[in-house]
Amino acid sequence: MMNKMLKWILWLAGFVFLILYPKLFGIYYSNVFVTFAIFALYATSYNLLLGYTGLLSFGHAMFFGTGAYGTALALTHISGFPLIPALLAGALAAAILALILCPIMVRVGGTAFAMLHLAFGGLMYVLALKLRHITGGEDGIGGFDIPPFSIPGIVSFDMTDPLQFFYFAMVVLIGSIWILWFFTKTPFGQIMIAVRDNAKRVDYLGFRVPQTKAVIYVFSGAFCGVAGAVYALFQNLISAEDGFHVMTSFAPIMLTMVGGIGSFFGPIFGSAIFGILEELTTRYTERVELVFGLVLIFVIMFAPMGFVGTVKMIKEKWFTRQGV
Amino acid sequence: MDPVTAMYVAQGMHGLAYGMILFLLASGLTLIFGMMGILNLAHATFFMLSAYLCYQVIAWTGSFWLALLIAPIVTGIIGVLLERFLLRKVHAFGHIGELILTVGVSLVILESVKVFWGTESLPVQIPNVLQGLVTAGGLDYPIYRLFIIGLSLVILIVLMLILYKTRLGMVVRAAVSDADMVDALGINVPLVFMLVFGVGTWMAGVAGVAIAPILTVFPGLADQVGMDAFIVVVVGGFGSLGGALLVAIICGLLNSYGVQFVSQLAPVLMYIFMAIVLVFKPMGLFGERE
Repeated sequence: MMNKMLKWILWLAGFVFLILYPKLFGIYYSNVFVTFAIFALYATSYNLLLGYTGLLSFGHAMFFGTGAYGTALALTHISGFPLIPALLAGALAAAILALILCPIMVRVGGTAFAMLHLAFGGLMYVLALKLRHITGGEDGIGGFDIPPFSIPGIVSFDMTDPLQFFYFAMVVLIGSIWILWFFTKTPFGQIMIAVRDNAKRVDYLGFRVPQTKAVIYVFSGAFCGVAGAVYALFQNLISAEDGFHVMTSFAPIMLTMVGGIGSFFGPIFGSAIFGILEELTTRYTERVELVFGLVLIFVIMFAPMGFVGTVKMIKEKWFTRQGV
Repeated sequence: MDPVTAMYVAQGMHGLAYGMILFLLASGLTLIFGMMGILNLAHATFFMLSAYLCYQVIAWTGSFWLALLIAPIVTGIIGVLLERFLLRKVHAFGHIGELILTVGVSLVILESVKVFWGTESLPVQIPNVLQGLVTAGGLDYPIYRLFIIGLSLVILIVLMLILYKTRLGMVVRAAVSDADMVDALGINVPLVFMLVFGVGTWMAGVAGVAIAPILTVFPGLADQVGMDAFIVVVVGGFGSLGGALLVAIICGLLNSYGVQFVSQLAPVLMYIFMAIVLVFKPMGLFGERE
């Protein structure tokens, strides 16, 4: 009973904190927070594959990028296109891409799965670079109008105002993360973990493994697409480099590892850690990537379980000492 | 010979030379990634580092030959140190651990290179012997490209001989297929792996020196050629030197003829090639094991 109440109080406190955040820290840090939340959603939906289903992909940037380009293209070419359908267009584009690829992808696992993603991710990257008349090449698509979020006749929020965009982005991103969290708690989510641990046994139990993988794959792709779509709206620009580059594919893997693999909240912590790190290092040096590199080496050498795992370990140590 | 055929042949030679450099880089990667199963994303970074070392050695001594000797060896030593002190410890975490570590290492090397040498492209002069053209059958071939093709073939043959005809090669192949068993036979497997890793990075180093005069030396070198080398290893099949050679040449030719016919979309061809092969053969053309 107490626990449940504490949980609700924590949720409420988090909610109040989010509402007050822009007032407390100002617009600059609100934007930093939006970036963090975008990558948190991206990494969390990626973790559905990596952490829960045990599939390592080297090309998830293609879903992020497709989502971003989907939204950007819809807003560029259809005048007066509303905000929510634009967002859904991005998610849908990514989901369709995942749907097209999943018959190929669910047949393979392990290294082949990773490499196939590398191939298709690379293909998408080069296509985005070279199909200039559609994607704008290196420059990408930018400067499209961001429509207001409006319910006709009732309210209308101006999305070019950073403060109002902050709230909109929070609702979308945290809502999506909540859906993913809920998804892992369903019986289907349990099958997902079972597929990771022993696919053969799941098959014998009468569940269809490839179909299960396909559903998770499309789901994960669609939410990567949502993250990409919000990114495009937030930056008002999407380029091949940001959307499809192989480093964008590796980003969620790094965030998940630094945050802690095998935990739902690991990628979110990882995203926060990298966000804070970037803020701190850009103040002192231009060599942000050097610091990132050193952090990655340090984490894998000394804290391979990531932030969540290390905290858990320290906690256990502390509690056992108390017991003695 | 009429000009059109001459152009085709010249493009073919360019493609072949690029394919051979790609093969040098990819064969090192196929040893490390394909045979030992270590995902090394820093491989192309070593390739770039070696190109910079080549530039530096030439700046100090003025000799390309000395650079060709020293730069790859220094690169190989750095590779051995990486394997001995870092990579070996994360092997237990599988590909994800290696990915994180090698991405970290390549970021550190890339940024250090920018600190030491700046971001501009640096020219590398080739010695007089290698400059100029050879004329045969009414066609002009640049000597340097012929030299690259020859050098790559020599390295390929030596590598093949060591791997398949000597006791050392037998130990390496055995260690790759069943490390525990070979260890139990009293062979120092970690040492063997360290050696193979060193040879692999040395080959990346040779490729780096070979490409320096063609593309000049700049930090983006790793991105540009590294991805191509990765494709070669994956498409050729893990651990297959022959596959790597074949696919490297195909990729080189796709690249040079692609530029001629569909100029803008040339890089797309390679990825489409990779995607098609992997869809039908997930382990690559000549790959067998997971």
